[in-house]
Amino acid sequence: MDFTSIDFDQLFGSGGDTNPIMMLIWIIPIFIFVLYGQRIQLTVTSGEIKKGIKKLEEYKIKSRVELIDYVKKNMNPKDDPTKKIDRFLDYFTIMPVDMDPNGIVGKVRHIVRAREDYSREHVKSISPQTSKIELTKIQTLLEIATSLQMIYKVINHMFLTAKKQNNYPLILPLQMILPFILEEAEAMHKAIPTFKMGQPIGDGIGPMVVGKMMLDSKKESVAFQTILGETQYDQRKLLLLKAEGPGSTVGRPGDAVESILSKNKLDVIIMVDAALKMEGEDSATTAQGFGAAIGGIGTERFQIEDIATKNNIPIFAIVIKQSVKEAITLMTKDIADKADDVRSQIYEMIHDNTTPGQTVLLIGVGNTMGVPQ
Amino acid sequence: MFSKEKIILAYTVEKCKKCNLERKRKYQEGDLLFAETSKCASCDGIAVIEKIFGETIES
Repeated sequence: MDFTSIDFDQLFGSGGDTNPIMMLIWIIPIFIFVLYGQRIQLTVTSGEIKKGIKKLEEYKIKSRVELIDYVKKNMNPKDDPTKKIDRFLDYFTIMPVDMDPNGIVGKVRHIVRAREDYSREHVKSISPQTSKIELTKIQTLLEIATSLQMIYKVINHMFLTAKKQNNYPLILPLQMILPFILEEAEAMHKAIPTFKMGQPIGDGIGPMVVGKMMLDSKKESVAFQTILGETQYDQRKLLLLKAEGPGSTVGRPGDAVESILSKNKLDVIIMVDAALKMEGEDSATTAQGFGAAIGGIGTERFQIEDIATKNNIPIFAIVIKQSVKEAITLMTKDIADKADDVRSQIYEMIHDNTTPGQTVLLIGVGNTMGVPQ
Repeated sequence: MFSKEKIILAYTVEKCKKCNLERKRKYQEGDLLFAETSKCASCDGIAVIEKIFGETIES
């Protein structure tokens, strides 16, 4: 065959209106994309998701190993605790039915507290002589490892289901939520060394602010893992409330407020807490507002709001903004530097919103890891 | 092109109750907020741990 005589202009259609090869070059990909477009997208997206799932698996395995090592090193158990810890990691919580929402908060509180109480007792059973502070740390490490295990299981399940059924629409929500999930999982993974060392975390800025104000005051336990102090400021009675440090706990501020109110008449409640910053906002900026500044599942907030409403007590809030990662890892310098500023904002708030002789309840909300009082 | 690995170093800030002199040092195991640590370097006051925080460095 003489290849020198091929007319390229004619072959690629530049010389005429129709050309079979040129038509094929255009039409075949269109057919491929019409018939297999979703599968191609599924393959491309799967690669990215697989990388994310691999990271989640790595976090899950590492958190488990670190928890077991920490328990072996710090609890000195008689037997190997691995089997027990693996059983704890598989604990799950079935939330109450919400078809009839009447009384749902009480039910949620009961289930969550039962889970906390029983897991604390079960962890303690590994080595009964373990100190309370060490126990709170191990319980938090267990929560982290359990959460990472659950995240991995759910994401992997969604991915494998989509792959098994070659279902591209099913993989789309996964692709959308994965970056947020990875951010939280990474934050949890990076929080492990901080909890092991017992250092303050970003979420602990509320307890840190109030803890310092409590140092020279008379203190008493007012609810489970919750401490109340009393002092005077500018002729006002100042009641100071925070979780019992330096263990890793958030205490039970709802129960505490109920107990305080049974013995005192409160005129104002001020809550200081860490809050999640929005993208674009600077970390460690503060903001003042109204309402109960407290996160978590919502039961504590409900309890405080309920008491405040029934007794007509205004609630003021001061929040220190930070990212998810900053909130659960070692406190940053910017956040720690804000403590004095927040304290002066509190004094200003008390001065502006109360009169001499009134009683103010100041609550430092958050995990009090590494923050005594 | 390649993201550098970030390392968080923990620091402790001690503050003298008497002269308010602040001293920043590396965190040591056992450091606890508001705990009295040592005598102040410039007066006879006692230094108290004021802050414990982390600073990120890129390696």
